[in-house]
Amino acid sequence: MRKFFLITAIVFTVLGIAFTILPLGTIAMLPVAFAIIFSLLAFYKSTALLKKLPRLFLIISATTLLIIIGKSVLIKDRVVADKQFEIKKEESKKEDIKDLEGL
Amino acid sequence: MKKILLSILLFFAFTTSYTQVKPGEKLVYAASYNMSGLMTQLAQVTMQADLVKTSNKSFLHLSWEAATFSKWDSYFKIRDLYETYLDEMTLKPGLFKRSTFEGGYSITQKYIYSSDGKSINGTSKIQKRPETKKTFAIGSSSQDIISLVYKLRTINFGKFKSGQSIILNLIFDEKEYPVSIKFMGKETVLAGNLGRKECNILSIGAKTDRLRGKDKNLIWLTDDSKRIPVLVRFSIPVGTGQIALSTASGI
Repeated sequence: MRKFFLITAIVFTVLGIAFTILPLGTIAMLPVAFAIIFSLLAFYKSTALLKKLPRLFLIISATTLLIIIGKSVLIKDRVVADKQFEIKKEESKKEDIKDLEGL
Repeated sequence: MKKILLSILLFFAFTTSYTQVKPGEKLVYAASYNMSGLMTQLAQVTMQADLVKTSNKSFLHLSWEAATFSKWDSYFKIRDLYETYLDEMTLKPGLFKRSTFEGGYSITQKYIYSSDGKSINGTSKIQKRPETKKTFAIGSSSQDIISLVYKLRTINFGKFKSGQSIILNLIFDEKEYPVSIKFMGKETVLAGNLGRKECNILSIGAKTDRLRGKDKNLIWLTDDSKRIPVLVRFSIPVGTGQIALSTASGI
């Protein structure tokens, strides 16, 4: 059972890291929450000598969770000024006026 | 993503005056998509109105712009622009343009309305395929998506009874769609920088595969003279989401 909890914890920890890097916002909390749960289960199922690995995954998951919370609180969603798009809009408007002159 | 944006834009129309919309109005929204039960913000949607003058006429220029937040640009960049020009005097649409770029897929469309409003000269281009031209007949009350959305704001839903509905005609992708607008009731919701506002809730229905469920596509319009759209909830084949007003200026 310890092995199962440990493998599941590893899978969810990797997923949690991937989701944190991707712009998925708080949805990344889902795999991280599972990673923490399975790391804890693996930790309690481990003997004193084998607690090192689940503890490591617990620390990684907790750190990932802090990063997700930090990102959602500190980084605001914004749209980058897209010069190419702005130029396209201006050119389009000039073309529109030509079309409107004919109406 | 294309379906999300189309559904976001899929709304309505009627009546005759645009006193609710004045040049200079700018409404900014945050569009979110439901991922595993959590709303994730994807894009910013901006609705603007300004005046454009030609040598002999003035046109009310209404536009909708959608752009993904910078964090999404590397994965799925969206730069959509929907525009319509209405004759300032008659409020009839003269020109409609659509330019969409969604994750590398692009479409451009231009509809020039005939002077009698009974037909459209359409030009469209998908990806790098050759441009196609088509003239097609339309009903006298049919309009493009942007002018319909703005026209919706001219209807006083405050006088409607719960469950009462109207049918409007929408032109999209060179086809006409009857769209039903049903008044569902009132609710007070958060309206960005405007604070909490009492709103009329409307349910949008259309015989299209782009919308799903009964009364699951809803829009909240402020129950005042401006009738500002403050919240949209949509249900489409690939999921659900919402568009919420962040800031309103020039109203």
